[in-house]
Amino acid sequence: MTHALRASTFVADAERTSWHDETLWFVRQKRDKAVYAVPEFQELRELASQIKEHTLSRLDEYLMQFEAKAQRNGVQVHWAANAQEHNDIVLDIIRRHGATRVVKSKSMLTEECHLNPHLTGHGIEVIDTDLGERIIQLREEAPSHLVLPAIHLKKEDVSDTFHLHLGTEKGNHDPQQLTEAARQHLRAKFLAAEVAISGVNFAVAETGGVVICTNEGNADLGVNLARVHIACMGLEKLVPRLTDLGVFTRLLARSATGQPVTTYTSHYTKPAAGKELHLVIVDNGRTQQLGRPDFRASLKCIRCGACMNTCPVYRRSGGHSYDFTVPGPIGAILSPNIDLKKHSSLPFASTLCGSCTDVCPVKIDIHTQLYKWRQVLAEAGEIPAAKKWSLQFMGRLLASPTAFGIGGRVARTGLRLLPYRLTHSKTFNAWAVARELPEPPKQSFREWYRETGKV
Amino acid sequence: MTHQHINKVTSSRENILAAAQANKPAETPLPTVPDFGGDASVERFTQVLAGIGGRAVWVQRPQPLEPVLAQLFPEARRIASPLLAGAVDINAQTPTALLAEIDLAVLEGEIGVAENGAIWLPEANMLHRALPTVTQHLVLVLDHRCIVATMHQAYARLPGTGGYGAFVAGPSKTADIEQSLVIGAHGARSLVVLLY
Repeated sequence: MTHALRASTFVADAERTSWHDETLWFVRQKRDKAVYAVPEFQELRELASQIKEHTLSRLDEYLMQFEAKAQRNGVQVHWAANAQEHNDIVLDIIRRHGATRVVKSKSMLTEECHLNPHLTGHGIEVIDTDLGERIIQLREEAPSHLVLPAIHLKKEDVSDTFHLHLGTEKGNHDPQQLTEAARQHLRAKFLAAEVAISGVNFAVAETGGVVICTNEGNADLGVNLARVHIACMGLEKLVPRLTDLGVFTRLLARSATGQPVTTYTSHYTKPAAGKELHLVIVDNGRTQQLGRPDFRASLKCIRCGACMNTCPVYRRSGGHSYDFTVPGPIGAILSPNIDLKKHSSLPFASTLCGSCTDVCPVKIDIHTQLYKWRQVLAEAGEIPAAKKWSLQFMGRLLASPTAFGIGGRVARTGLRLLPYRLTHSKTFNAWAVARELPEPPKQSFREWYRETGKV
Repeated sequence: MTHQHINKVTSSRENILAAAQANKPAETPLPTVPDFGGDASVERFTQVLAGIGGRAVWVQRPQPLEPVLAQLFPEARRIASPLLAGAVDINAQTPTALLAEIDLAVLEGEIGVAENGAIWLPEANMLHRALPTVTQHLVLVLDHRCIVATMHQAYARLPGTGGYGAFVAGPSKTADIEQSLVIGAHGARSLVVLLY
């Protein structure tokens, strides 16, 4: 199924589509306000980009440095080549502790690896503790945004879900009261959890420590009450020095939600006395992406979500239309690396306006990569026949002034004479599905110029 | 863990490192991050703190904090703090059930950051790692001379991150329901900074 097809179910509800569009644009505006208040913001973007590029250029060395430091700190380091290995490692740690109750804070990596169904299938209760993630977990949905997982839902939806699962008052839509109900419900889970799983925002090679950023405090509460902490990270999360965090913590929350910083920026370096800290370093296609010169810059991503908040296509099609863990423009350049065929429509879910590139805090050339993936897809024969042939035809037509002149005349006459149902046929003309064709002009510019030029 | 499992995971490490080495681009330089200067005033700090849902209150040290706390949190019964006599005794071994009953934690912050209202709270000042988030309300005591302008300056001042430490910026919050800001998600419902 293509992105356009999946988006069609989302846009069927026009009112909700507009609401989604406006809500995310509001987040983009908050981002702008926060960004403009920092005079050196553009310098910070450049620094962040250079630090990440440098890290990637010595990735193997930094990974080894990070591992050695972490082990010296008493941290147990694990390596997973793919999702299956990651899930096996996590399950193995949980089982060794005889644990069945697990809390998990936000981690797109564990979403990517489909960890939850793996654990649940083996009799482990795993509770997502980020409010948005808990909401969609109860609804058995996937997150639709990197940092706002339940942004596709209205408070009425949340109210219904909580009424059903947490027994809140029916029809009570008050976000304050709904959040309080979730707080009470999740407190019990936090207090009972034996193992806590978290994601990682940054991993510091020189200290061997990891940094986790949240607003709710759910990562810290879960991790610091449980006996065992399992932090799962993609291998691109590394930065070389502790002081590099000065750059990234100034960029992340401002770019994501327009906050000056997340409420909690927590540094985990050693396990607490008598407890365990495990780090699972995951590849799952990342080193392959590193080997693609046109696309390796996508590994600089710090998962702020700014590119989706600004994207005119994402805002009007919703995160689920991408059918990939990471939606939006960044997802559209990460996904073809994982499965070119399955995600072949995603690089086309863009107007190539470049707004994503403009807001990216680590200066990933997102729209250029979208364009380049289209070339890769065309060469691999992964674009629909209608698009392929019509583009080849148009290419030839536009390359020849004679053919272009004749084509224009045929189109102008044709549009006037042919019945509306044919020119606007949804089968032949996808462009006209939701648009009117323009009124054909009487003559072309060239014809007009020839006439006028004689005067 | 089975023997076979260990072999697989060990070889994954080697494979990942080999792939990273083979596929990495030519080395690019690591930039030096400048200081950037900035506004390190107490006014800036308190203004940003208010913007993120926190509140600053001036106190006199070394005078006792009890009267101020009694005024700010008249209903707090179980208070945890290394700074107060007669507080609930909390240490790294305190069981979860006892931690869960704490109404108020009063802890000492080390560095304040004016640009974002964050305060560095190292493990050594926490009594228990979970205390700053499990408590219903949090008070951080901060010497106003320890306020710096930016995160660059904060990290430059950190002697290290210890085993655990966090920058805490305001109370726990969420906007996951229709982007409506709600203070008091899972961590502390309020944050007061006692400045001296």
